[in-house]
Amino acid sequence: MRNARLARALVALVGTATLGLAACSSGSGGTAGGSTTLTVWHYYNTDGQVQGLERLATAFKAKHSGVHVQFQYVPVEQMTTKAVTAAGSKKGPDVLVFGASGTYPLAQAGAIKPMDDWWSTYPSAKQFPDGVLQKIDGKLYGVQGYVNLLGLWYNKDLLDQLGAQVPTTIPEMQDVMAKAVKAGKQGITLTGKPGLESQWQGFPWFTSNGFTYGDAQAAPMAQTYTMLQDWIAKGYLSKEAATWDQVAPFQQFTAGSSVFAVNGNWQIAAAAQAKFTYGVAPLPITSQGGVLLGGEVQNVGAFSKHPDLAKEFLEDAFFSVDGELTLLDAFGSIPAHAEAAASAKISNDPILSVFGKIVQQQGRPSPSPQVPSKSVDKVETLVGNYWSKAISGQGKPDQLANELIDQLKPLLQG
Amino acid sequence: MSSSVPPVSAPTSTTAAGPSAPARVRRGRRYGRAVDRRTALAIPAGALLLALAVWPLAQLGSMSLHTVSAATLNSTWDFVGLDNYAAMLREPDFGQVVVNTVAFVLIVTTIGMVGGFMVAVAVLSSTRGGSFLLGLMVFVWALPPVVNGSIWKFLLADQGLVNQALRALGGQGLGFLYDSKFALWSVALVNAWAVVPFNALVLRAALLGVDPQALEAAELDGARPWQRAWHVLVPAGRTAATVLTILTIVYAFRSFDFIYVMTSGGPGTASTTLPFLAYSEAFLTLDYGRGAATALIALLVVVVLTLIYARDVRRTEGEA
Repeated sequence: MRNARLARALVALVGTATLGLAACSSGSGGTAGGSTTLTVWHYYNTDGQVQGLERLATAFKAKHSGVHVQFQYVPVEQMTTKAVTAAGSKKGPDVLVFGASGTYPLAQAGAIKPMDDWWSTYPSAKQFPDGVLQKIDGKLYGVQGYVNLLGLWYNKDLLDQLGAQVPTTIPEMQDVMAKAVKAGKQGITLTGKPGLESQWQGFPWFTSNGFTYGDAQAAPMAQTYTMLQDWIAKGYLSKEAATWDQVAPFQQFTAGSSVFAVNGNWQIAAAAQAKFTYGVAPLPITSQGGVLLGGEVQNVGAFSKHPDLAKEFLEDAFFSVDGELTLLDAFGSIPAHAEAAASAKISNDPILSVFGKIVQQQGRPSPSPQVPSKSVDKVETLVGNYWSKAISGQGKPDQLANELIDQLKPLLQG
Repeated sequence: MSSSVPPVSAPTSTTAAGPSAPARVRRGRRYGRAVDRRTALAIPAGALLLALAVWPLAQLGSMSLHTVSAATLNSTWDFVGLDNYAAMLREPDFGQVVVNTVAFVLIVTTIGMVGGFMVAVAVLSSTRGGSFLLGLMVFVWALPPVVNGSIWKFLLADQGLVNQALRALGGQGLGFLYDSKFALWSVALVNAWAVVPFNALVLRAALLGVDPQALEAAELDGARPWQRAWHVLVPAGRTAATVLTILTIVYAFRSFDFIYVMTSGGPGTASTTLPFLAYSEAFLTLDYGRGAATALIALLVVVVLTLIYARDVRRTEGEA
């Protein structure tokens, strides 16, 4: 009797737990009622990005009847952990669209597999530059179907009003910002929130001063922090930038409050809301400086139930000329496919054509190849945090730069 | 005072040595069955507790003693002893983070308790204004922290309502969320503001037990309002306040959501507390081992506070 009661309690518990686990489980879609579901994990969250995905899915479904493409949004900071955890229980999506810094942990955790065999037989593979191929130990773990990068957005009406030209050097830019402040406007908006985004934002400026991850020295960083704090002291840049992500500062720019904004090509739809004439120019950095070529990486999930269909989806959606031009229309991403990059849609567009030139002139691979793969997240977060500290004035430039380099060096040694 | 002895019915079958053997057996069986039933009923809860609390805590402890990153999460972890703890202590910002955490807890607890008491006194009477304030507080209390934090983020922005008001009054705007001197204070004050309604509701419940005649007597004796509050209401709410203080400290100590929404621990690390540091290490830099070590240190403080709370509750129940 006693045993029977215990057994009943245990069965009830196991039943409840099983139901709970079943409800919580996630991962690759299956085949039900004659239709196949292809799951895609991504972290796109702007309207343009989501619409772009929907258009890709519609085009794919038109060619593959009975296939349903299911997009699952995963917040960017949770993507790697979620995919790694799923891989631990041999689960995961059919397709992963992830940040480049996640390539190493995802590969090591087995959430993605090398795609060399597939890529070597893909007819258009040669159309993609090496910079968009994410490799670890010589093996290909992902391809960026497009790139995103930073440029200098400017308010043309305000420049004309100030009698200024688009700057090509930092001193020229500072002169314009001084005029803007005198006219009651801000000089520039940029990102300063602690974390990865700020590393991306800071990279052009500190590399312009001679910093490299291959030989990390404090002096170029101190010079960069001095420049930032000088901009704040003179009113060119709001100290509030220390909390700005990439969305808030661009909203300020489109509202007409600043003459410049350091922001990306994905803001092309948001820029259209501005009630003034605007343009984009390369950042006025030195020839030593570079702009990181971001953009999401794509690969088939290691535990995909439909790997062949997933490959086909990626080839059609992210790696084809049509697919990349769809994403270009949706949110201004610069195609990595050479044929798509040569499209008139880019060369005839005054904004996109400039971003295309920036790729050629200032583009640098992301993550930086000198950063050991296993330290990418730590290095980028650390550098981003110190960028934020410099903006908020949490220390003098020399002190901050020395602190940063002390922590950075062991990480860069691998 | 006389003591009365309740009538005791004699057992039907007893000896000088106690119940008879069959009665003992029957009672033993009943007792055994009751224990069986209780055990069986407790098993699901116990198993859930093991699965959802004890096992994850054991995993957390194990992680803190190993090198665990996203790359190694699914493979064998290298044992590193206390290296993660040592690395955490060596971190240049760790001291500042501890100071931030203590300051944050002090601000939230002090304002939460004092504010809660003041509001409780204000809504003690059943006036229309008191009822309105009570309803408003329940609304504030029910707001999700993410919504609450986002609203305050807009209000405290450089061009937000608070700064606009300051400028309209001839003052200068303040960098509530971006100046490293104010960021922690701003988030802590908002957090305290969010906890005041809960504290007020609990303290009001305790103060409702005060005999109105005691307050009237004090008033007739010439006690001013603050004297009535200090000498009559404060002693009446002391027991509830003790428990509430511990709960508020725990709430403040583990607070994460307002920091995440309003400042992301910044600028730099100016508003980073231990729980946020643990999150940042585990989920932003993907160093789960270090994150687990930081989380365990934070957890230890909460456990100590919980033990004090449990002891206090037991003592209060004993007195009751």
